[in-house]
Amino acid sequence: MADIHFTLNGQEVAYEGSAADRLLDVLRDTYRCTSVKCGCKEGECGACSVIIDGILHNSCCVAMGAVNNCSIVTMEGYRETDRFKVLSKAFGELSAVQCGFCIPGMVLAAEALLSQNPKPTEEEIREELSGNLCRCTGYNAIVNAVKNAAKEGDGLW
Amino acid sequence: MVDGFIANSLAEALEIRATQDVVPYAGGTDLMVVNRPGLTYLFIGKVPELKRVFVDEQYVHIGAAVTFTEAIHNPDVPTLMKEAISRIAAPAIRNAGTFGGNLGNGSAKADSVLIEFATDAKLRLVSAKGERIIDVDKFYLGRKKLDLAKDELIAEILLPSKGIENYAYTKVGGRNALAISRVSFAGVFASEEGKITNIAAAFGAVADTVLRYKDIEEMLLGKTIAEARELRQDYLQAYSERMVLTRGRVSAEYRKGVCMNLLGDFLTKFGI
Repeated sequence: MADIHFTLNGQEVAYEGSAADRLLDVLRDTYRCTSVKCGCKEGECGACSVIIDGILHNSCCVAMGAVNNCSIVTMEGYRETDRFKVLSKAFGELSAVQCGFCIPGMVLAAEALLSQNPKPTEEEIREELSGNLCRCTGYNAIVNAVKNAAKEGDGLW
Repeated sequence: MVDGFIANSLAEALEIRATQDVVPYAGGTDLMVVNRPGLTYLFIGKVPELKRVFVDEQYVHIGAAVTFTEAIHNPDVPTLMKEAISRIAAPAIRNAGTFGGNLGNGSAKADSVLIEFATDAKLRLVSAKGERIIDVDKFYLGRKKLDLAKDELIAEILLPSKGIENYAYTKVGGRNALAISRVSFAGVFASEEGKITNIAAAFGAVADTVLRYKDIEEMLLGKTIAEARELRQDYLQAYSERMVLTRGRVSAEYRKGVCMNLLGDFLTKFGI
């Protein structure tokens, strides 16, 4: 069978390993995208969140065969965007980051939300981030940061 | 790619299913938790024939590879189903998880499957040789045991398009998001000219399969609300005697207590 072709942060790549390999492991080990964190390996924490064809996914629950011809964005690519700069500033200003482990996933979840719904209510933010666990902040600062980013980045999403 | 098959059409998927030892992979959210070594997956998540939602005279057809997020945003999907699937896990899981996967995983905790039991849904199973349509309760032979042949795929779920507007649904989990059902309940009620024509009650996550006792439901069929109210205690007693629940993440006693409370609430909601 042929290699698995996909776009990773804008670059075309061909993966030669098994179709059953876990996207999370491949992103970290083969492509050195270490922003993608392994928290639980069962879809329960969101630390491994990535955006596949514009949609948020837990990369621990994706086999490589499922990403053929897909476009994948991790924090390594997303951090180069203007949208990221707005989110980064908002998270920083509100001290929405403590240990940082959940943050790449949290920021990509915020991007997935804002790209679909640029002016979310607080309830919608909490719902969309509900699969991303944070054990430090207590969530309020993160929710407020996303709210501020939506305001500050008006027009970007 | 050294192993695995990616199907681009249903015909291609069925051909592979007929000739290879493969595990169908739609959304992957259950399969990848274990990702048992040595499995060869047949990736069917993008097969167009399995991604459709449409309505005909009798049924709402939901393709096996339709994700929960897609269904939540689809105006043709009944409200009862939307209410249940919008409480599955969290957005990223709902973006990947599918109706076919929820069935194929074989768990009695599957939130969409509970609704299929409560609404007398049917499943269309296909193979290279043909297709068959079966009632969802016949599909479940026991814990993780399914009536699905090695060459078959689940193609679509057929939900009744009418008569499931009046319902009660409750999911009891340990928290709001990312919660596996500890007990789940779906009841569907319908009446015509003052007489009860449907009073389906299904219980999820409390035994090897979703539970439903059609013979007990018959006690109230054809009765007026007033007559049904007279029978309420006998009806609840019949369920209490019949339900032998297993212990899971929570005790059997707790499960039983919650099931009986939810059943009582369902009756009360419809004036019984």
